[in-house]
Amino acid sequence: MKPDQQTLSSTFRLRLNSADLVILVLTIVLLFWVYNRLWFNQSSGKADYLVVQIDTQAPLQYPLNQNRLLELDGRRGKSIIEISQGKARFIHSSCRNQFCVFHGWLSTPGDTTACLPNRISIAVKSNSGNGTEPFDALAGEH
Amino acid sequence: MQLHFTTRHDDHRIALLAALAISIHIIESAFPSPLPGIKPGLANVITLFCFIRYGWQTALQVSLLRVLISSLLLGSFLSPTFLLSLSGALLSLASLIIVQWPFRQHLQYQPTAVGYALIASVSHICGQFLVAWYFFIPHPGLFKLLPVFITFAVLLGLLSGIITQLLIKTNTARA
Repeated sequence: MKPDQQTLSSTFRLRLNSADLVILVLTIVLLFWVYNRLWFNQSSGKADYLVVQIDTQAPLQYPLNQNRLLELDGRRGKSIIEISQGKARFIHSSCRNQFCVFHGWLSTPGDTTACLPNRISIAVKSNSGNGTEPFDALAGEH
Repeated sequence: MQLHFTTRHDDHRIALLAALAISIHIIESAFPSPLPGIKPGLANVITLFCFIRYGWQTALQVSLLRVLISSLLLGSFLSPTFLLSLSGALLSLASLIIVQWPFRQHLQYQPTAVGYALIASVSHICGQFLVAWYFFIPHPGLFKLLPVFITFAVLLGLLSGIITQLLIKTNTARA
């Protein structure tokens, strides 16, 4: 027992043993693996078709393997969507902020963007069902 | 009719530690968080302390009491927050037990509080994340957030591990 109890926290020295170091190294390896797997690996799954929703109309589907330009009439004007090489993007929309255009290409299943003023939203989906789960535990049946 | 409860020293200790953990949990929930789901998790210091000093049974009781009572006090009992909190607490304790298992004959070689805290915080966030993904937001886009969560888990786990080690050292020096 040390006589100077008051200074114990100021003289505290961190002790690590070999098991700690193993855990630390494993955690850092896990961290790198997770970053590599989830952020820098874009080739996980290909989207197969584009779903377009205009205002309250029934959604339209377009295959992503045919390159084309879609000219859609929204509430405020035209929106132009390009489909090219399995990807889709807005290239023009009649709105002020152009968020949908700046979002860029949609390529991974589940990617979504929308032009809210023009009431048009697009999403890319895959046939294998990845990214198509519509509900959660609060909204209804899973 | 009279009820007689005989309480042992262990029960008093569990009550005291659970009260501490609940207080920390509630004080912590008053602070805003930069990202939903990220908070320091300092109540876990108490769980770790129980686990290292008194074994997993005490730690299990203290952390279940903490999750249950603080959810009742905060009004989130049986809500998604409560389920996330419970799943994180259970998975982190389970992984602490699994990590300690190979060292059960040689406890002097077991990790210190820092190693246990890292395991606990990373598995806590993973448990919460899986429950959140499976039940509440079943969208693959959620996985883009996992690296951020694990980064914070490692940093805050190191912090709470250092605090726990300090706590254990001062506690054994006084005893």
